[in-house]
Amino acid sequence: MTVRRAVERLLALVRRRHLDRELENEILAHLELAERDAMARGLSPEEARRAARRRFGGIDQMKEEHRDQRSFRWIETLLRDLRYGLAALRRAPGFTAIVVSVLALGIGANVAMFSVVDAALLKPLPFPQPDRIVRVWEAPLPGVLNATSAPDFLDWKRLANTVFEALSAEQSISVALTDKDEATRLSGKAVTADYFQVFSTRAQLGRTFSPEEDQPGAAPLIVLSHAAWQSDFGGDPDILHRRAILDGVPHQVIGVLPPGAFDRDETRFWKPLVFTPDQQVRDIHWLTVYGRLRGGVTAAQAGERMQAIHAALTETRSIEDRKATIVVEPLARLLVGAGLQRSIYVAFGAVALVLLIACANAVNLLLAKAASRGRELAVRAALGASRGRLIAQLLTESMVLCLLGGVAGIILAGLLIRVATPILADSLPFTADVKLDLRVLSFAGVVALGVALLAGTFPALRASFSNVAELLNRSVRGSSGAHARLRRAIVIGEVALSLVLVCGALLLFRSLLKLQQLDTGVRIENVITMSVDLPPGAYPTPQKAALFYRAMAQRLQAAPGVSQVGLSTNLPLQWISNGEGMLLPGIPEMVHVRFKRVDPGYFRTLGIPVLAGRGITGQDSEGTPRVVVINQALAARLAEVARVKDPVDQVVRVSTPGYLETRVFIPEVEIVGVIRSERVSSPGDSDPPVVYVPLAQAPSPQVKLLIRTGTEMAAVMPAIREAVREIDPNLPLGDVATMQQVRDRTLSGASRPAGLIGAFAAIAVLLAAIGLYGVLSHTVTLQRREIGIRMALGAGATEVLSHVLRNALSMVAVGIVLGLLGTFALTRVMKNLLFEVSPLDPVALTVACFSIALIGLLAGFLPARRATSLDPVETLREEG
Amino acid sequence: MSKPQSEVPYGTLDLLILKTLEAMGPLHGYAISRRIEQVSGDSLQLSQGSVHPALIRLEQEGWIRTDWGISETNRKVKFYSLTRAGKKQLLVEVANWEKATALVAHFLESMS
Repeated sequence: MTVRRAVERLLALVRRRHLDRELENEILAHLELAERDAMARGLSPEEARRAARRRFGGIDQMKEEHRDQRSFRWIETLLRDLRYGLAALRRAPGFTAIVVSVLALGIGANVAMFSVVDAALLKPLPFPQPDRIVRVWEAPLPGVLNATSAPDFLDWKRLANTVFEALSAEQSISVALTDKDEATRLSGKAVTADYFQVFSTRAQLGRTFSPEEDQPGAAPLIVLSHAAWQSDFGGDPDILHRRAILDGVPHQVIGVLPPGAFDRDETRFWKPLVFTPDQQVRDIHWLTVYGRLRGGVTAAQAGERMQAIHAALTETRSIEDRKATIVVEPLARLLVGAGLQRSIYVAFGAVALVLLIACANAVNLLLAKAASRGRELAVRAALGASRGRLIAQLLTESMVLCLLGGVAGIILAGLLIRVATPILADSLPFTADVKLDLRVLSFAGVVALGVALLAGTFPALRASFSNVAELLNRSVRGSSGAHARLRRAIVIGEVALSLVLVCGALLLFRSLLKLQQLDTGVRIENVITMSVDLPPGAYPTPQKAALFYRAMAQRLQAAPGVSQVGLSTNLPLQWISNGEGMLLPGIPEMVHVRFKRVDPGYFRTLGIPVLAGRGITGQDSEGTPRVVVINQALAARLAEVARVKDPVDQVVRVSTPGYLETRVFIPEVEIVGVIRSERVSSPGDSDPPVVYVPLAQAPSPQVKLLIRTGTEMAAVMPAIREAVREIDPNLPLGDVATMQQVRDRTLSGASRPAGLIGAFAAIAVLLAAIGLYGVLSHTVTLQRREIGIRMALGAGATEVLSHVLRNALSMVAVGIVLGLLGTFALTRVMKNLLFEVSPLDPVALTVACFSIALIGLLAGFLPARRATSLDPVETLREEG
Repeated sequence: MSKPQSEVPYGTLDLLILKTLEAMGPLHGYAISRRIEQVSGDSLQLSQGSVHPALIRLEQEGWIRTDWGISETNRKVKFYSLTRAGKKQLLVEVANWEKATALVAHFLESMS
């Protein structure tokens, strides 16, 4: 068929009425002309008309042929079936509503979940040629990730330009933005000039950095994210002529990025990273390095090249330096870790089970519907409708249902995404834009079609392949063995699948509970935290910072509602990114330690016990000998490495970063105490060795405030802000959170999908209960006659009740057995998500089985009650 | 939906219609069917009505064109005429027909 004709035939579908009228007219004209000719041959008008008709042939046949020729007949039929199907659904609004909402639940949950999977795992990163963006780091030991020093970075950049189009370094910073006396904290990044080339991002307004702008002496400039421009600068159209006061220094705004991925990151602005002379040392690793590979260069090739460069650069350096490998890892793989990937897939698996259950329910309902329509179908079959036509019509009907379900599901998914995105934002990488886009919509379409085929085929085949006579008979007598068996099987399947989901959800909840009870070594009830960043302009020396910290702690201690105050460079229950070295007398090799600066109030506020020696006191300040406190893990490490039995009073050297400079001192310090280890990482990891240095002896411009409150935490916040403002009115407090929130972030990472799977399990159980109820109440309807006879013969209400309930329980029992088998097979994939809970935890499994059984009983109880209230006389009369 | 039995050899109705229009110029449906009957005499059993489905097909292919005209009974009817594409198609169909009959004739001769 030519294209032209295909188009004409499609058009003819739309012009059907018009074409029919035209044809009618043509036929009339034809017959008239034929009659006229016949009369001209001498026939009477009556004879002429008959002759014309005869010569013309079958008019209806010709019309059919005409329609076949001019358009696609099957589409016309389909359209008619659709109209018929819609009308049938309108006649049964209750049935339609139930099936559509069941499907909408299943499809909606799946589509919403898929949008997360798509955004986080499937879609390419939202940058041009994203597979060329890589992160480069040193791995001193396999699996350990180390930052890069400035001289190393500059060497890499110089030597590796054959594999990298652009290589840039970044450092996270945080500044106070002052605007009309109000100070707010702004997170940003100091980046080398070609940072935006790595991500191939151009400014929407103005420009990004040019090469000379990260050189010493360059004027202070910043580039804003679109979100920062909109919120922190009120979308000022004149933004490019504005200077933003950051830490008291005016910075010229030179550009604003387009809206997109960078808006979901916490970074609000970028400024050029200018290396000062004292940052040009090789043993301070502080930069994060990103690169854009040249076209055709793979990450592996770049890795080989970097390894060669590293070998050449470190030839003359220590063995330790030479040992490191250089890792070049695609950004996409870095953003979504194995743990998050697993969580997402488990949640997606769970939601797929929900869809399966929803399908089963829809099949069930359609089967029940088909059974009650048996008579109508039988009559149509008897009147000559072919099986094919009946199947096509039933399929069209279920297709219409599924499409309605799909549309409702998409609306539901849109709502779910809107509700869930803010909750999920923390756990997803900033590049993941979760939204209902064309990809997600096509997925929804595929799912709806799949569901339609799955849910529609069964009932259609069953309904139309039965023998006509049997159908007619059955609809009168009302008992259908094959149907009932199939529907029971489906309910059993639903119960089994729900059990799997409930088990999964309970296992995750048990694991969450275990985590809640986990002893983290710190007391965090009523502890609130916030961060303080001292602008270098106002606090140029460590002495000034130390004075400020002491004054602030004293002032806060006196604030109403505050019971204890502590200061630390790192939050408790959070990984300490600062790694330093400890040198012991007589031992050549350095002991790697995590490095934390705390004030005298820290251990007290968090209830961390001192096991030996003493803690840090107010006496440990600039003028007194340098001391440190170590944790138990470090004490154990020292015992292992240096056979130090009692570390207290031991004199060691600890590398210590300077204030506002990256130069490191290695002063001699005395270990004065050992504290019990506090947890700084997720469960399963062992505690790292940590050295605690008095904040007053080694101040840092960034600290976290930890305040234990006597009353409601939110009520104390104004007093806290007021206290800080009294000491420095220009200092904003940022990152306000309760320690409980910090703890949840650190610990519950693995069990994050618990809530999600719990919700899916609840939906699944609800659907299974609906299914069970539907089947049982249908069975009761079909068995009315039988029940009537039994009651007429003297069976009591209890007997009838137990008969129906036994029926329900038998289905539930088989479902539970199958579900347990499924659970044994499936929960193994959750092993890594569970903390101290076995995937076959007997408590979770038992609770799951009992709750499913209970819900099964409830679903059976209503139809059973209805059965006992039947009046035998009436049912027998009605059925007979 | 059984197809009406075509008394005309399968596939030749198109050829007959195209040839008629080429010879006679614009005609309405009845005239086309009459003309085919007259030329073929009693040797062809054609239901006159069957030209209409064929006409819509040929029109959709773009081989014939319709114009509105007035019939001898003063009714507004369609007049069909050959398009340029239709003329080409007629040549193709004639050639095909000749090839087919020659083949069959040759076959019958060599088998007897």
